[in-house]
Amino acid sequence: MVNVYENVSENKFKSTLTVGLFIGFITVAVYLISYSFNLDSSFLVIALIFSLTMSGATYFWGDKMVLALNGAKPAKREDYFDFYTVTQNLSMADQIPMPKIYVIDSPALNAFATGRDPHHAVVCATTGLLRKLNRSELEAVIAHELSHVKNFDTRLLMMVSLLIGSLSILTNIAIQNSFFGGRRGRDSRGEGNLGAVMMILGLLLAVFAPFIAKLIQLAVSRRREYLADASGVKLTRQPQSLIDALQKISGDPNILSEASPATASLYINNPFKGKSLSSLFSTHPPIEDRIRVLKNML
Amino acid sequence: MIYIVLAIIVGVVFYILGFYNKLKTLEVQIQASLQEIGNQLKRQANLIPNLVDSVKGYLKHEKDIFKMLTDARTKVDQAAQSRRPEKIDQAQDAVSKVLSSLQILVESNPQIQASSLVSNLMNELRDTADKLMYARRTLIDLSAEYNTAIITIPGVWFASLFGFKPQKGLVIPTGGTFNEVTPPETENPKVKLD
Repeated sequence: MVNVYENVSENKFKSTLTVGLFIGFITVAVYLISYSFNLDSSFLVIALIFSLTMSGATYFWGDKMVLALNGAKPAKREDYFDFYTVTQNLSMADQIPMPKIYVIDSPALNAFATGRDPHHAVVCATTGLLRKLNRSELEAVIAHELSHVKNFDTRLLMMVSLLIGSLSILTNIAIQNSFFGGRRGRDSRGEGNLGAVMMILGLLLAVFAPFIAKLIQLAVSRRREYLADASGVKLTRQPQSLIDALQKISGDPNILSEASPATASLYINNPFKGKSLSSLFSTHPPIEDRIRVLKNML
Repeated sequence: MIYIVLAIIVGVVFYILGFYNKLKTLEVQIQASLQEIGNQLKRQANLIPNLVDSVKGYLKHEKDIFKMLTDARTKVDQAAQSRRPEKIDQAQDAVSKVLSSLQILVESNPQIQASSLVSNLMNELRDTADKLMYARRTLIDLSAEYNTAIITIPGVWFASLFGFKPQKGLVIPTGGTFNEVTPPETENPKVKLD
């Protein structure tokens, strides 16, 4: 029997490991690509300025971009009493400032959190979710989202999506560069076997990097779903409410049409359920598995 | 050799500073959560008379409810003033009893059900009850963290140096009937539906 506290620490360890693997992969991939395509320094400077601007913009305005992409509106206390007060209570218990709360007008049942740190956090729920869940189920869902905020999952996810986006842009530019005169300087480096191998490896990476990076990103976010479930339950001490909420959410046929693929991993449940995505590419662990883990905490 | 010793000394000094700051932060947070408990109790005490006023018209014959409401109000007042854990417990019990009786009444009486004023106030009261529960739990968690830090190694070596004493948190009186379980309490509750 695994208790809540053991689950939290085990999940934290595994999450750190996955993040480490991810960072390692990105470093090696960028090195190999720039080596095999022989990118000149002006290209590197442009790439650097571009990526710095992009990271800055994502860091400071990522939450606003996500809200705008999903068509979210601020939620007032008088209109959404339970949502507002539950968020207020749980952030008090979690020792974080109360996040800004938003609603998406949609019959689908879903919720997400974003923002760079607990002081700039946003929690967003669909109107369908607020209608169908009772107070304690809503509490379980919000506790899950606040755990994402407190564990800095929201920042990580924001930055990771940016990294992956930039990596695929970089790869595209690198490929174009190699076709249109990027090979200029290759002779000076010699044409040993090693060079050829690196070239092939670089090409392979250039083709597969976006896919591999995407897979790792999904692994990171799946790991974090279990962790957020565990810490959310640690906050409410009611695993049953989260089980009930997840069952209601998974049993609902509505699909969130406002969700964009870029923000899918932020939600409490995969917003694209029902569309045929293989389980390997799913941003979330199957709900049955999450419920099984939660039942061990009862 | 001298550098290694120096490095160790610097490391220990930094550790002690970190330990001191952590415990001081916890002390402030514990005070804040105690304050929060008081705030929520006061808010409850203010809400109950409003609830009484709003249901007066509908509940002329429900003397029990009024008695329970007055009782809850008194207990919340006492708890707000004394801030003693057993008083807070009693106040919470009284409030949840009133809430569940009111809930039954509201469900059986369409006239009250239609009154948004009553349901708003009940929601508010339920919310303060939740807030009180979370404030108490925060206090308990923080006190536990603090107390663990000062009695485990290496904290136990420095705690007395700075005069850190165990936090009482919400002490539930030991002895008496608080930590006893009577045979009827171990049985499953029987629910009768007529």
